[in-house]
Amino acid sequence: MISVRNLNHSFKIGKKGKEKRVPVLKGLTFDVPEGEIVSIIGKSGSGKSTLLHIMAGFLTPESGEISVQGIQTSSFNEVESAKFRLDHFGFVFQNFQLMPGLTAFENVELPLTLKGISKSERQKKVKDLMQSVGLTDVQDHYPNELSGGQQQRVSIARALITDPPIIFADEPTGSLDSETEQDVLLLIQSLNKTRGITFVIITHDDEVAQTADRVYRMHDGILTEGGVQHAI
Amino acid sequence: MQFRDQISFVGQHIKKNKMRVFMTVLAATMGTAFLIVLASVGFGLHETIRGEVLSNRLVTQIEVFSSEMHEEKVAELKKRDHVKAVVFRQNIGTEQQSSIGNFTGNNPLIVTDFIEEEKANFELQEGRLPEKANEVIVGSNFAEYLMNQQDENKDGEFTTYDGKLIGEQFIYQVGDNEGELIEDEMMLTIVGIGKKPAKDWEQDQKIYADASIIPELEKIYYTHVDKPADDHSDAQQLFYGNVNVYADKLENVKAISTALKDDGYSVYSISDELDQLDVFFLALKAGLVFVGTIAILISSIGIFNTMTMAVTERTREIGVMKAIGADPKLIQRLFLMESAWIGIVGTVLAVVISYGVSIVSNYVLPIIVTAALGEEDFGDMTVTFSVIPWQLVVIASTISIGVAMISGWRPARKATKIDVINALRQEL
Repeated sequence: MISVRNLNHSFKIGKKGKEKRVPVLKGLTFDVPEGEIVSIIGKSGSGKSTLLHIMAGFLTPESGEISVQGIQTSSFNEVESAKFRLDHFGFVFQNFQLMPGLTAFENVELPLTLKGISKSERQKKVKDLMQSVGLTDVQDHYPNELSGGQQQRVSIARALITDPPIIFADEPTGSLDSETEQDVLLLIQSLNKTRGITFVIITHDDEVAQTADRVYRMHDGILTEGGVQHAI
Repeated sequence: MQFRDQISFVGQHIKKNKMRVFMTVLAATMGTAFLIVLASVGFGLHETIRGEVLSNRLVTQIEVFSSEMHEEKVAELKKRDHVKAVVFRQNIGTEQQSSIGNFTGNNPLIVTDFIEEEKANFELQEGRLPEKANEVIVGSNFAEYLMNQQDENKDGEFTTYDGKLIGEQFIYQVGDNEGELIEDEMMLTIVGIGKKPAKDWEQDQKIYADASIIPELEKIYYTHVDKPADDHSDAQQLFYGNVNVYADKLENVKAISTALKDDGYSVYSISDELDQLDVFFLALKAGLVFVGTIAILISSIGIFNTMTMAVTERTREIGVMKAIGADPKLIQRLFLMESAWIGIVGTVLAVVISYGVSIVSNYVLPIIVTAALGEEDFGDMTVTFSVIPWQLVVIASTISIGVAMISGWRPARKATKIDVINALRQEL
């Protein structure tokens, strides 16, 4: 599903003229098979978030190749990358990243609005999805009127609404208490099983990583460990 | 994203920042209204002066001069395109006198073609057009110029004729080339009175006769004066003519004038005067629009500020939209639509306010100026202080909305360049 080959990336730091290049990703090569939950675990500064940003197309890598469903995405320009994201990816962020001026319903509706889908079709689809993830009661609430767990459910619903084959989750339980964390992880596992969606979860938490089918461990920009932990 | 959704998206953001957007719209409104009202003074003055020029003469009239004006040339003029009428008036170039009883006057006789005169809006106040050679029409002030020089009123002025005119006969005499009246007389019958001239200060004391009177008058005249050897001699001619060509529409006056000039005629028409006037006022109006545009440019700083703040405040939201998959061009369009909305609403309000100011100023300013000058009015002049034609509305709207969009351009570009990763890192 996602194939990463010899991926390298570095950041410039320091004042202009005295910049230093700090390598962040050092020749990464790995695969994310279709229909699996893959977690990339690592400490802060290990380069896991940069890896997600490059896979999602927020960053262009210095070298290396990434292909998604056989399509080379690492050479996309900004516009092509945005369109590809809208059609193929869903995103779940640590801070939920909901639009504060939109209700839960409107937040979930947003990707469909961006795709130019008609209002009636959008509303039917959002209504069905919100019902399936248990958000009907709070659909007219604004994000600041929702609990952390509810906000993350809205965020997951927003990622799901376009039926993407891949969802990237960046520390999806990072802002949640342990009880809510379990709820969210169960929801991710259930969606993976029922809808066959591939999840790429970035986390620093071993417990979260254990819910994945495949775990890659990152340290100083190198994948040090990886493997299948569950029967797929 | 569908256009309807884009509008609704922009609407939601405007609602969220009502106060700030209101102040920016207010600045845009004031700038645009200033431009419209300022330029409207130029349009108002232009209209006033133009109206004054046009009211003093027949607008479609072209005076044609030629050293050899005769019936064939007149017939040729009538055939030209867009010519409604050609009035060939022949005046008598010598002394003349009209008398009813003891009342005498030097009312000039004019020989004309009444069919053409009617086409050129010659109207009768009373009576009918002449049908015989000795029947004439007199101007509305004809009687006032017939005076009894043996009778004075209490103010020491000669009494004027106040009897009836229609059906009345009077004696008409022409003078010889020395200016002495010829004893041979013609008895003319008044069958109609011309309409009073539109302007109070205009007087019409003339006698209008048909061309059939010419043989009789020439017979009297040339009995006492030697007939010129040919028609080209200026000396001792009884009649000299002038021709007025009337265009069917004001727009065609210029074309007819140009064609006549090309054919060697000397012409004078209102369009010559208006051309110079229009050039002057065009320059004045352009200057006023330029000054007004500076006000709009000042208001554009407000729009730039508002949009820059909007982009800065919404950095995280823009980042989320870009992360989800929003096209950078869409983000740019949404911000441009917002600044255009400010420009459009500001312009609409400005147009409404400007029309209000224009109406009020046209009503109030004459009262104030009259009171200040201590005069009853501006004489015959109708002064329009402010006129807002649709062209001014179009020019002001284009400038205002254009400037608003240009002001929003840079912030909108900035929005598209927002880095997704940095935007997502922003605190809520």
